[in-house]
Amino acid sequence: MATTNSNSQSVDINRLHDTALVNHFTENIGRRAFVLTPSYPFMFIGEIIDVMEDMVELCVETTHFSQLENRNWFLHIHNIEVFYIETPDGPCIPELRDDL
Amino acid sequence: MKSIRDSRKRREHNKEREDIEIEDLLVRRFQRLQGENILIITETAQLNLLGQTFRPIFCGPIVDVAAGHITLYPATIKILNAPFFQFPTPLSIPLEKIAQFTTNFDCNMRFPLV
Amino acid sequence: MIRRFHVVAIPIRIVVNNFGDHNPDGRMYVLKENEEKVRKLVRENPFTPVELVQPLTIRANEGDVVEILFENQLPFATGMHFQESDYDPRTSDGSNAGFNPSSLAECGETVLYTIHATTEGIHFFTDMGNVSSTEEGSSIQGLFGALIVERRGSWWTDPVTGGPIESGAFADIHNPFLPSFREYAWFFNDEMEVNDLTGNRPLNPITNQEAESFHGVNYRYEPLGNRKRLIEEGVVSPELDGEEVHHDSWVFGDPATPILRGYRGDPAVIRLIHGASKETHVFHYHVHQWLRDPSNERSEVIDAQSISPQSHYDVWPLYGLGSLQGAIGDVIIHCHLYPHFAAGMWGINRIFDTLQDGSQCYPNGIPIAPLQPLPDRPCPPKPTVERPGFPNFIPGKVGCKAPRPPLGIVGGREMTELERNAAVPNARPGAVFVDSCIGNPVVVEFNVSLIELPIIYNRQGWNDPKGRIYVLDEEIDNVLSGKIEPEPLTLHIPASSCIRMNFTNRLPHVLDGDAFQLVTRTYENGFHVHFVKFDVLVADAANVGWNYDSSVLPGETIRYEWYADTELKAFFYHDHLFAVSHQQHGVFGSAVIQPRFSRFFDSRTGEEVFHGTQVTVQHLLIPDYRDFSLFIHDFALLFDKDGCPIQPPPFPGSEEDPGVFGVNYKNEPLQFRLGEDCDPAYSFSSYVSGDPVTPMLMAYEGDPIRIRLIQGAHEESHSFNLHGLRWQLERPDNDSILTSQHHIGIAESFTLEMVIPRAGDYLWAFEDEEDVWLGTWGLIRAFDQEVEDLIPLSDRPLPPPRTLPLPEVTGKPPELADPQCSLPPLAPLNAPIRRYRVVAVQTPIVYNKYGDHDPFGIVFALEEDVEDILCGRKNPEPLVLRGNQGDLVEVTLTSMLEFEKFPFQDGIHPYPPVKEQAFYPPSLRISLHPSLLDYDVTTSSGNTVGFNPDQTVGPGESITYRWYVFANVGTCAMWDVADLRNHRSFGAFGAFIAEPRFTSNYLDPETLQPIRTGTSAIIEHPLFGRFREFVLIMHDGVRLVDKNGKVIIDPLAGVIPQAEPDEEVDTYDFGSRGFNYRSERLINRYREHPVLADLFSSKVFGDPATPVFEAYPGDPVFIRLAMPSERRRSHTFHLHGHNWKFDPRDIDSRVISFIGHMVPGDAQDLPLIGGAGGTFNFPGDYLYRSGNIRWDIEQGMWGIFRVHDCIQHHLPRLEDS
Repeated sequence: MATTNSNSQSVDINRLHDTALVNHFTENIGRRAFVLTPSYPFMFIGEIIDVMEDMVELCVETTHFSQLENRNWFLHIHNIEVFYIETPDGPCIPELRDDL
Repeated sequence: MKSIRDSRKRREHNKEREDIEIEDLLVRRFQRLQGENILIITETAQLNLLGQTFRPIFCGPIVDVAAGHITLYPATIKILNAPFFQFPTPLSIPLEKIAQFTTNFDCNMRFPLV
Repeated sequence: MIRRFHVVAIPIRIVVNNFGDHNPDGRMYVLKENEEKVRKLVRENPFTPVELVQPLTIRANEGDVVEILFENQLPFATGMHFQESDYDPRTSDGSNAGFNPSSLAECGETVLYTIHATTEGIHFFTDMGNVSSTEEGSSIQGLFGALIVERRGSWWTDPVTGGPIESGAFADIHNPFLPSFREYAWFFNDEMEVNDLTGNRPLNPITNQEAESFHGVNYRYEPLGNRKRLIEEGVVSPELDGEEVHHDSWVFGDPATPILRGYRGDPAVIRLIHGASKETHVFHYHVHQWLRDPSNERSEVIDAQSISPQSHYDVWPLYGLGSLQGAIGDVIIHCHLYPHFAAGMWGINRIFDTLQDGSQCYPNGIPIAPLQPLPDRPCPPKPTVERPGFPNFIPGKVGCKAPRPPLGIVGGREMTELERNAAVPNARPGAVFVDSCIGNPVVVEFNVSLIELPIIYNRQGWNDPKGRIYVLDEEIDNVLSGKIEPEPLTLHIPASSCIRMNFTNRLPHVLDGDAFQLVTRTYENGFHVHFVKFDVLVADAANVGWNYDSSVLPGETIRYEWYADTELKAFFYHDHLFAVSHQQHGVFGSAVIQPRFSRFFDSRTGEEVFHGTQVTVQHLLIPDYRDFSLFIHDFALLFDKDGCPIQPPPFPGSEEDPGVFGVNYKNEPLQFRLGEDCDPAYSFSSYVSGDPVTPMLMAYEGDPIRIRLIQGAHEESHSFNLHGLRWQLERPDNDSILTSQHHIGIAESFTLEMVIPRAGDYLWAFEDEEDVWLGTWGLIRAFDQEVEDLIPLSDRPLPPPRTLPLPEVTGKPPELADPQCSLPPLAPLNAPIRRYRVVAVQTPIVYNKYGDHDPFGIVFALEEDVEDILCGRKNPEPLVLRGNQGDLVEVTLTSMLEFEKFPFQDGIHPYPPVKEQAFYPPSLRISLHPSLLDYDVTTSSGNTVGFNPDQTVGPGESITYRWYVFANVGTCAMWDVADLRNHRSFGAFGAFIAEPRFTSNYLDPETLQPIRTGTSAIIEHPLFGRFREFVLIMHDGVRLVDKNGKVIIDPLAGVIPQAEPDEEVDTYDFGSRGFNYRSERLINRYREHPVLADLFSSKVFGDPATPVFEAYPGDPVFIRLAMPSERRRSHTFHLHGHNWKFDPRDIDSRVISFIGHMVPGDAQDLPLIGGAGGTFNFPGDYLYRSGNIRWDIEQGMWGIFRVHDCIQHHLPRLEDS
């Protein structure tokens, strides 16, 4: 779907949304994020390290399986279904520990 | 390298943001809905949270609207066996992942989920 | 591609093991090219098994047309009937059914079958020309096999030689696009005639009575009794006496039963097939797990599968042979029903770690046959002197018991050099040859012991003086002193944990003898687990094949290590060494692998715990929930308070169905719950008799709950029903169908996840008649206000403070419920209302034209039909009600029951019997309970339970239930709960069908006029058009009399030509059976015309009394199948020539033509793929029937689905107006 801006240029709205999402992750590099995707292993919690095109690099502290943790993962931003990025004054992502 | 890349991205982002803020009707609508409860369903068939699977059906007030996503808080997830579960953090939903939504929705309403 | 086979049915002596046990009257399918060879081999080897004597297994690819020239050399007409395949029933059904031409071959004749192998999987075949359940039958004597259909482009080779293979149970399958895999056909069969070397029925050397009947795999069995005899005769050492030692290859060599060989990591499939005839077995494969539905990756992960006769499953072990941890060694595969296990129904999956090229031998000198590596997998290393590979690094001595494992036993031994070479670098107690705990997971450690103590099961003092249970070491004193009530030990462990179990055997050496059992020396025990990942050689807690004996003697402690790699639900554990002897005394428990990061709390005190059958689980990211564990067990060997045995067997040591039942070591028999007025309608009411002692599961309104359903012991099927709640059949799959009932066999474990919508008492019950009579029921109590001994869930709103007092026992029945005072939880205010007026009446029911009838029938009928029924104008059929999704259905129920019309006014039924009958006079009150629908459980569940009001009605009273059809859930079983003992088997049941929203009409298929009820209908919908709907209600436990008024004692009265005089029948096999109050008992037909091959023919006998459903080719058809009543014997349902999805809501689900293990409460929807006539819409007569040769088919559990090839005057087409 295209829409026109005030300068009469055609803009693809899907691309605008996608780009804005990428930018949002870029702006939050250094913050912790919680991500759910429909693809295995389904859940990630970790710090946003970098954004490269439309992939976000996450230093993953927690996912579904302990063997896949404590390493960097590259997630396709457009595969993310829901997420939360911590802010200084917002709620914290709960701490998840195996050894309680 | 990283900081140069970041600045360039930020500049492009700010320009587009200006345009978008004016022209994205969907974002404008969400901005007007801020504070109101919506029922919103995303595209995938199901999500999996540590073995708890559920259809992506969410309900809650919109607390933030950005160019690429909206945020609900508190977000109720209509899990089949816990239909009024409120997730402990806000949940952000990419606009491109929205399948459908409806506004002015009572998140305490009971309705079938299958 | 056309694939051709020439198959012959021959009589053959089947030798089933190396002791010379054999079937002199075996019947087998064989390829023509092997016929002479197999006859010659059998002649030359009359007392040893011949490899070619096995169920015929042939193969084709998806899409092939398979032409089978079938030649019959048996002395009666036979054929080959294929399940799952598509074919023209008029030429290739392998039967003589309805008005079809016969596709059987007489003796000496041939017939050509054309079979379309449309779908991948198992296409089981057997004979339908001779369905006798005696030794004169065919299927029961071994006449069955399978066509296995592989994926397109596949080919297969012999695993030993690598050369091509035309038939055979074991093959390697290859494909250009897919991984090669090992394929093992595994045919269970039971009840086959078997004699010992002397030509007599085998004897059990322990009891000196006749041994259990044949229970085998691929025509082989290896019973405990034969190997025990070698010990008694001194052929092997007497110190080796024990139960599990009969699986030990060090002592006895390998068994005659199948050994499935492969290398570590090999992809593999076990094609699990139940060839015949009677029992529902539980297939259990140690160490491995698989998806219940292999086509649906969101299906449940299981490691035990119940399988009823003539059904089949594809078992694809996840991660290949050895599972995720890469285990090697001998992995036992067996039927988990203990008497069957001891009778020899087991085999081994042998996983090698070194290449087998034929140069190696087993420790006893027997050469190890070559095993070709799969061509696309790395070749295993060659064995060397330092690393000889399994089993040659194990320091056993042939002729002696297997050695104990290194490192594991406290105070035990270190590794030998060969063991050290074979071990992993970080070998440790419980994980020596495999690193079970992958990565570096958190370790949790437990100290558990097995102890013996008396357990009291109920308030009347029924008790087990030799209860044997697992307890935490720190609680032993409290349990023994009575401070803590014994219950099955249920541990709670987060996923991703490495579990270390320090197990101590504190049992006495000897299990005392009594009326139930002989004295048994139970000197070694272990802690055998399901599901989790472990080193099978040292941590299986068993004594199998060439593995170690990983158990301990009294006073010793052993360490096991297991890895819970993912949320695997509740895993079952028990002792494997003397399971047959003492598991039924309570030797079982479970560990629930909970989601990672969970914490567990005592629901009463809020104290943090890690065990308990009722806990509260807290989690930061997912909803908190209540976790409840229910363990059903049978063969509970109990004594009454005076020390008299309850239901002892005919002699001590007999496996003939002794004892009664328990749930978490408790029961609440209904005979003790009659109040002052002795009305069974209040048996479940806590107002009258107080709460039951069985588990009371507590929650608040709105709480999510998970029920862990497990069977602890010992041999039988059970049917779990939950009134008022429902769950997804496949828990991980949000598209799964919903259910309110589940069949369970021993060692199976299911998680039922749901939310409690409203406060009230919900009945849970193992609800076949005998189980519930003997007390296998209880309550889920959901509170609306705060109570003292139940903590709230931390992520839910707090319950309001208590303002109303809790209800109390009054001794009197409760007030009648008022359903009009509330709506069902999900019903909106403006739901359209559909009303029915239903009456319960007593009336004779005629079951067939031979005059077999039930003079004391109890039926539900629409008020407008009562007069026709009572005056005999209408022969009743079960009531079927319908409603659309979105409807609020109001059913007004009235009772017209009269006491004089009951046959047994003291409630003691001589036939069909149940155990421990007692005074329980029939109730005149009636109720109607539907499964699956949404309703307020306190007003409209159709039962009077706990502290709920009375939902039953007596003569002159009426109640209007309110049920909301919240979804298109299809078939719901319906039955009376007012008197489960005296009503249900006489016909007090029916079905409710939930149709899609906006369905415009339910029409009579002949007149196209709207109907209000009926088992055959056309459903009309503005979007879907019209489809045919056939309701089949399968039921058993019926008491029929013949036209002369003589009681028909089925099943034996129906056996053709006649039953053996000393045939044993379990209580749950008694009774007649059929569909929709009809039974076409074959014995009636046989008496008229004694030709077995003609018994299903309508040309000879006319159509059967059971429903004949009619359609035209391609008509969309839904079969609605329910089983509301009433025995514990589980049945298979099969429809010839058609199939449907295992889960009709899930497009990914596997395709099948049977419904397995149907027991009371079951309800299924079968949308026929392709419509009437199957994929190719072939017209003809298709049998629908039970798959149980013993004892369903002869006894009348069959009928016909007729697909007409031309227009019939009486049957409009769907498109007609």
